[in-house]
Amino acid sequence: MPPLAGRSAADIVRLMAAFRGGTQPATVMDRIAKGFSEAETEAIAAWYAGQK
Amino acid sequence: MSTRHRSRRDVLAGLGAVVLAAPSVSAQTAPRVVVIGGGFGGATAAREVKRLLPNAEVVLVTDERTFTACPFSNLVLAGMRDISAQQFGYGGVEKAGVRIAFSAAKAVDARARSVTLGDGTRLAFDRLIASPGIDIRWDGLEGYNEAAAERMPHAWKAGDQTLLLRRQLEAMDDGGLVVMSVPANPFRCPPGPYERASLIAHYLKTRKPKSKLLVLDAKDAFSKQRLFQAAWKSIYPDHLEWVSLSTGGKVLSVDPATMTLITEFGRHTAAVANVIPPQKAATIATTAGIADATGWCPIDPATFESRLVANIHVLGDAAIAGAMPKSAFAANAQAKVCAAAVASLLSGAPAPEPKLVNTCYSLVAPEYGISVAGVYHPVGGVLAEVKGSGGTSRLDAAPDVRAAEALFAEGWFKTITHEVFG
Ligand SMILES: Cc1cc2nc3c(=O)[nH]c(=O)nc-3n(C[C@H](O)[C@H](O)[C@H](O)COP(=O)(O)OP(=O)(O)OC[C@H]3O[C@@H](n4cnc5c(N)ncnc54)[C@H](O)[C@@H]3O)c2cc1C
Ligand code: HEM
Repeated sequence: MPPLAGRSAADIVRLMAAFRGGTQPATVMDRIAKGFSEAETEAIAAWYAGQK
Repeated sequence: MSTRHRSRRDVLAGLGAVVLAAPSVSAQTAPRVVVIGGGFGGATAAREVKRLLPNAEVVLVTDERTFTACPFSNLVLAGMRDISAQQFGYGGVEKAGVRIAFSAAKAVDARARSVTLGDGTRLAFDRLIASPGIDIRWDGLEGYNEAAAERMPHAWKAGDQTLLLRRQLEAMDDGGLVVMSVPANPFRCPPGPYERASLIAHYLKTRKPKSKLLVLDAKDAFSKQRLFQAAWKSIYPDHLEWVSLSTGGKVLSVDPATMTLITEFGRHTAAVANVIPPQKAATIATTAGIADATGWCPIDPATFESRLVANIHVLGDAAIAGAMPKSAFAANAQAKVCAAAVASLLSGAPAPEPKLVNTCYSLVAPEYGISVAGVYHPVGGVLAEVKGSGGTSRLDAAPDVRAAEALFAEGWFKTITHEVFG
């Protein structure tokens, strides 16, 4: 699994939306993504994007 | 709260816990934080407080130099893993700037804000964090005491008990009956008994095919039940029988001398007996006055501060965490939230609004993993599941998905133990 740290925030937000929508294959991320709002996802994505 | 606004500030997101707007702290005098219990919750909390408040004096009080992790210890029972893969020292925690006191906390004086250790040393604190885990309720099951546990191991705290049960299973003749008893809720690791049942059945099927495991349960329903039962039916039809509460599964007493477990409906004599007894928050919780009449510790769900004693925070298995199960994953997530709250409170800022994740993986057989996940937040004073989130693995998942989850389970264990002890 590729690490999230250092990936673009836009990428992470897009993947999370796809997990929520069921279009990205998942074992658990679909269930986890549904627990976060758009704004929260953006904040987390920005944090990961800032990690090297 | 406006997450959009707060997101511009420091955002702490880790495995399992998301705290928006954790503080950037500049406390004047070095705050003193004492943490009791160097397990999944306590070691995480100690490191997180030190990371958020570099000038704080953080002391971790823990009673053993080597920690033996419970997650994956069911694989040790089944002969699939060495106990050494479960053991961790505290070198990494120390390197992170945490001072370690290898001692048992014996008493807490909430008024004087100090913890007394086994050797009489007193440690002063501004905030205390307790993650002491569980103790067995030795008065909870007739006939089951510390001597009985040497014949009928619980193996619900990993270490010698795990090795004892492993030796008994290895020494048993092919054809011997293994009996496991499972308590009513709440207890540490809700899916743990059923993962254990699966892996013991795997061991019997592959090594002692004439033997069988009988699971006597004080409940009618359990975690990931449909997934476990579907797997048992297809993989272990001749090696695992589960007896529910309503069909006479509740064990009322045990007799270690004759290796007998007595239920409302009858008596079962075992070649090997694994008694998972009723549990409570570890003894220090009662001593410190943070456990209520249930034996567990009520908390504020945003800060994990005790509802009974101010300036003491409780997390992990010992805490009453609403909808969150008692798991290592949850203890780690709660520790991050608690540490952020403690850091905020010590610097006079309000604690941030948390969101927590839990994922419990269970192995049903080699390369066959299943999971239950949830996302939680405080609602009306308790931790509740975020509506529409969470749930279990699909009942109809293909074998490659089960194999992927087994791999993710192993990845999770490596990641969390590296984060906590590495
Ligand atoms: C068989 C089994 C399988 C499991 N599998 C999983 C799994 O797959 N995934 C998962 O997430 N969870 C799993 N768990 C649950 C997990 O082990 C616990 O939820 C987790 O350890 C809780 O963390 P904690 O910090 O509350 O307590 P612990 O990790 O138990 O840490 C408590 C520490 O405090 C110490 N202590 C207690 N009292 C004192 C005192 N007075 N002074 C000093 N030190 C003290 C203890 O010795 C211990 O080191 C499993 C449990 C079992 C039994
Ligand atoms: C905290 C518990 C978490 C666990 C156990 C977890 C686990 C996983 C797993 C197993 C995958 C592989 C896909 C799958 O099988 O479902 C994955 C992918 C992913 N996760 Fe998580 N995750 C967690 C939290 C998060 C959070 C909070 C975010 C928020 C941004 C996130 C973002 C992603 C993304 C973007 C991917 C896709 C990576 C890729 O395919 O390139 N995860 N995660």
